[in-house]
Amino acid sequence: MFNGLSLDQAPPLSVVIRFFITVPVFGILLSLIIFFNPHEVLIPTHPISLAAVHLMFLGVITMSMFGALFQMQSVLGGRPIPSALGNAFLIHLFLVIGIFALCGAFIFSLPELFIIASIFLGASILYCANLILPLLFGDITHDTLRGMRLPLIALSLTAVLGIVMASEYANSSFSSVHEAVRASHYSFGLIGWIAALIIAVAFQVIEMFYVTTPYGSWCKRNAFRIISASLLLKVLWIFTHLPYSWVFDLIMGALLSGFIFTTLKRLNQRKRRVSDVSIWFWQLGMALLSLAILTYGAFIGSGYDALQSVALIAFALFALAIILGMMGKIVPFLVWFHLSSAGYMDAPIMSNIIPATRAKGVFSLFALTSVTMIGGVFCLESLLVGAIIGGGMFGLLLLNLIHALRLYRDTLIHGKRFG
Amino acid sequence: MILEFMRDDHRACDHFYTDAENALAAKKTEEAKELFDIFYDATNHHFDREERELFITFEKRTGMMGGPTQMMRYEHQQLRSLLESMRLALSENRTDDFFGIGESMMIMLQQHNMKEEQMLYPMIDRALGDDAELMVQTLKDMVK
Repeated sequence: MFNGLSLDQAPPLSVVIRFFITVPVFGILLSLIIFFNPHEVLIPTHPISLAAVHLMFLGVITMSMFGALFQMQSVLGGRPIPSALGNAFLIHLFLVIGIFALCGAFIFSLPELFIIASIFLGASILYCANLILPLLFGDITHDTLRGMRLPLIALSLTAVLGIVMASEYANSSFSSVHEAVRASHYSFGLIGWIAALIIAVAFQVIEMFYVTTPYGSWCKRNAFRIISASLLLKVLWIFTHLPYSWVFDLIMGALLSGFIFTTLKRLNQRKRRVSDVSIWFWQLGMALLSLAILTYGAFIGSGYDALQSVALIAFALFALAIILGMMGKIVPFLVWFHLSSAGYMDAPIMSNIIPATRAKGVFSLFALTSVTMIGGVFCLESLLVGAIIGGGMFGLLLLNLIHALRLYRDTLIHGKRFG
Repeated sequence: MILEFMRDDHRACDHFYTDAENALAAKKTEEAKELFDIFYDATNHHFDREERELFITFEKRTGMMGGPTQMMRYEHQQLRSLLESMRLALSENRTDDFFGIGESMMIMLQQHNMKEEQMLYPMIDRALGDDAELMVQTLKDMVK
């Protein structure tokens, strides 16, 4: 059956951009929290630390991924997201309110805000999953689209477990399974949602953008099955207090290591040899993911808490690296594409929408942020420097996005149009 | 049958482009111009194969005149326009512009190819049935 293939499938620019432009705002806020509370953010159970973690994973990472999902489903899916404009508005609005409420709840210890956060974050995430998931079943053959099912299901489970914990925080009453819920919340969020979505995206974009050999079909077919089975068994093990739950971490670590090796190999053997900031982001991202796996493994073996902090920071930076690399390609392309498709003869070319020097600036600041933030686990001054550089990086990202939107608006107003 | 043949042709075009791009990145301008011409001809020939044979036969078989094939024709127009802009930039030695336009062209071309490979070619294969083999031969025999 014919499922589409029309320009209408490309959602309006505002659908994707509203998510992307919010990312640096939350990023700057996160940098400020780290700068003014360096001691607290390094204590995993401290409310300020929990606020910072959720600003990163919801305000920066999930926010970007929602924007990317709206775009990817339209391009890859053939079945466009219904009423993309209105749905993106609601999902974005609820997500923003939910993130502010959750961070406020942690920082100010206000039970009412936990309830508000649960309602808005739950609504935003479950509504988004409910909107996109049905489009990923049925007559779907694309590996990336099939791969997107797991992240959306895992995100929904992360949200449900998050709501359970928020109600515990709101009542200041923690059940006997609180630790199990917390561990499951992390596992579904970090591996099931973030890592799995990045793997699904890599299956598509590495070959497409850099002209590489495709990932193996065994890998594409089984990666998500292995992650799903490992996650479910790990959660079962945690809740039933069975021993050796680390075996499932080992399986997922091995799978992620395979992903890193395969991705770096493909990037090194790519046919397009032209230097590109997005490749640097992928390579640095893979290095950060390797660090996260190694330090998490070392933490499991030694129980040394600082290693867990390094693992979490490195993992967050890995996701951010991929997001920044892809955003630097997607935003200029979308601005050019929408103008060009609307018939504007003088639509700016991609390299003028976000100039290479500015893109390289974001990369340099990101690399410095990574080093100083990870070093910050062992040296507080480094964390302070990291917060300043990170704030600068998000500031430059915001400027780049505003510059792109300004060019888009100016061309719409002053540009020459066919016909 | 159609899917495999046309997908291989997509990959061949990708490689022609990367050869040209790599040569220009290595400052071998004259070689880049020759390699770009190969890519330009191969890509336009691919579009011609679709527009003059494949799409018309598919439309006759299915009666789908204004659907996916029409959209693909529209995208071919956009891509042809980008190829012309790149050729002009290259002939005027505007290297940065060539790379800038090339980035848009490459993303657009890859998205276009993906739509064809994921949806349109399988549909054409189903519509042509046993005649797919004959169609592949016809496409192979088409002169540039």
